[in-house]
Amino acid sequence: MYKKSEAVIDIQQISYQYENSPVLNRVSLNVQPGSFLGLVGPNGSGKSTLIKCILGLLKPQAGTIHLFGTDVNHFTKWGKVGYVSQRANRFNAGFPATVFEVVSMGLFGQLGLFRFPKKKDHHRVYEALETVGMSAYAKQSIGRLSGGQQQRVFIARALVSEPELLILDEPTVGVDANSARHFYDLLGNLNQFHGLTLLLVSHDVGTMTRYVSDVACLNQTLHFHGSTRDFEANKDLSALYGYDVQHVIHEHEEMAR
Amino acid sequence: MIDVFFQYDFLRNALFSGMLIGLVAPLLGVFLVVKRMSLVADALSHITLTGIAFHFLLATVFVGLAGVDPLYMGMAFAIIGALFIDQLRKIYSHFKELAIPIILSAGVGLGVVFISIADGFNTDLFAYLFGSVAAVGQTDFYMITIVSLLVGALLILFYKEWFFLSFDEEQAKVSGLSGKWLDLIFTVLVALVIAAAMRIVGILLVSALMALPVAAAMQWAKSFKQMFFYSAVFGEIAVLAGIILGFYLDLAPGGVIVVAAVLILLLSIFLQKLNRKSFQTKYAEPDAG
Repeated sequence: MYKKSEAVIDIQQISYQYENSPVLNRVSLNVQPGSFLGLVGPNGSGKSTLIKCILGLLKPQAGTIHLFGTDVNHFTKWGKVGYVSQRANRFNAGFPATVFEVVSMGLFGQLGLFRFPKKKDHHRVYEALETVGMSAYAKQSIGRLSGGQQQRVFIARALVSEPELLILDEPTVGVDANSARHFYDLLGNLNQFHGLTLLLVSHDVGTMTRYVSDVACLNQTLHFHGSTRDFEANKDLSALYGYDVQHVIHEHEEMAR
Repeated sequence: MIDVFFQYDFLRNALFSGMLIGLVAPLLGVFLVVKRMSLVADALSHITLTGIAFHFLLATVFVGLAGVDPLYMGMAFAIIGALFIDQLRKIYSHFKELAIPIILSAGVGLGVVFISIADGFNTDLFAYLFGSVAAVGQTDFYMITIVSLLVGALLILFYKEWFFLSFDEEQAKVSGLSGKWLDLIFTVLVALVIAAAMRIVGILLVSALMALPVAAAMQWAKSFKQMFFYSAVFGEIAVLAGIILGFYLDLAPGGVIVVAAVLILLLSIFLQKLNRKSFQTKYAEPDAG
C-alpha cells in the first residue's frame, strides 16, 4: 500500500546506455496517483528504454526507481502495474487463441505458480472486456480482430489484474484515426472514473494533449515536465516536439511502403 | 484384426507405447509450433542418434554395456543438446534459429564419427532411424509411461506460464513470470519425449509427430485449448494407423505414422478450404475483417 501523497513512480537521476551510446542521462520523473502523464519525444529519445527501466526489464547503470514506494529491484506486486506494449499490435496474428484466453493471461502473474483460474477469475475477465467494450468478442480468435479492437483487448488484459498504474507504449501505432479517438476516450474514462494512474508514450502529441493532465518531454534528458496547459503555452517546446512528431510519422509511412 | 495386438506382449507394448507417444508428442508440439521452434525437435532427435551411436561405440569396448538399453545414452545426449540449444539461443539472441543447424549438424557429424569408429552400421541402428514395432520391450514401455506421466503433469502445472510466454514473452516477464527456467524445463521435456518416441517412430521422423498433428489442428481449433484436443486426436489416429497397418503390411511404423499424419493434414486443409468457400457463397459479401 502507498500513502496518498506517495508517488506511484519515482525516478531519481537514472542513466542508461547501450554499449557506448547513452540513451538516458540523469532523468528524474515523478508520477503522482491519479495523474495522466503523456511522455513525448522524437525517435531514439529513450522513451521505450525509460519504460523498460520502470518495468524492471532493463537495469539503469545509475539512479533509482521506486514503484509505489518500493525499489523496482525488490518490487513484486506486478499485479498493480498494467502494461500495454508497442509490440502488442505486432504479435503473431495467427496465434490460435481466443480473446478470452488472451485477457485471462493478465491474471496469471497474480495467480502465481501451480494455481489455476477459478470461476470468479472468469468473471473478472468478462468485466475487463466489458470495460473496453469487447465482451461480445470473447470467443473470437484474436487474430481476426482489427488493430483497434486488438488494442482494446490488450488494454483489457492489462486491466484484468485491477492495476493502479497503467503504462502504454505507443498504443495507437497502426490503429486508424477513428479507433484511436475512441481509444483515448476509453483511457480518459479509466483515469477519471476508475482513478487509474496512466503513463502514455505517444508520437501523436496533437491528439494526446487533449486528454492528458501532464506532459513530459524526453530527449535523453528530461526537457520539460508540467501540466498540459504549460506545455501548450510554451510555444517553442510544443512546436519543437510537434514538428518532430509529424516528421517521424512521415518516415514511418515511407518505410511501410 | 486388432486382437493380435493383445495376444503378444511385444505388440501390446508397442501399441500402448505408441498411444502414449501419440498423445504427449503433439501436446508438446503445440507449444513448439506457436513458439516457432518446431525444428528444435529435429535438432534434438539427431543428437539422440549421436547418443545411441556413442552407446554402441562404448559397447565395443565395455562388453557389459551390450545389455543396457542404448536409449538412456540417447536421452542423456538429447538433454545435453537441449541445454546447448538453450545457451546458443541466448548467445545469438537476434538469430535464435541458428541454434538448430548448429546442434543438428554437430549431432550428425559426431554420430557418424562414432559409428565409423564402432565399425559401421548395424541392423539395430536402422530400427532406431525409422522405428520398429518389434523393438519395444517391457522396460521401454515402462520408461515411456513414466516420461508421458511427467509430461502430462508438467503440462497441466505450467500450462498458463507456457501459454503466456509463448504468446508474448515480454508481457509475461512484466507480469512476474520468469522465462528462464520455464524454457529450460520445456526443452528438457522435448528431449525426453523425443528419446522415448524414437523406438516407434524412429529418430528421423519423430519431429513429424510434434509438428504435423499440430499443423492439422491449426485448421480446426478455435481456441488455444482446442489446439491440444485436436493435436492429440490427430496424433493418436496417425500412430494407431501406423502401428496397425505397419504390422500387417510389414512396413516401418515410423513411415506409416508420418504418411498418415500428412494425409490428415492435407484432408484438414482441403476440408477447411471447402468450408470457407461454402461460407462465402452462402453470404455473398465476405466479411472484410
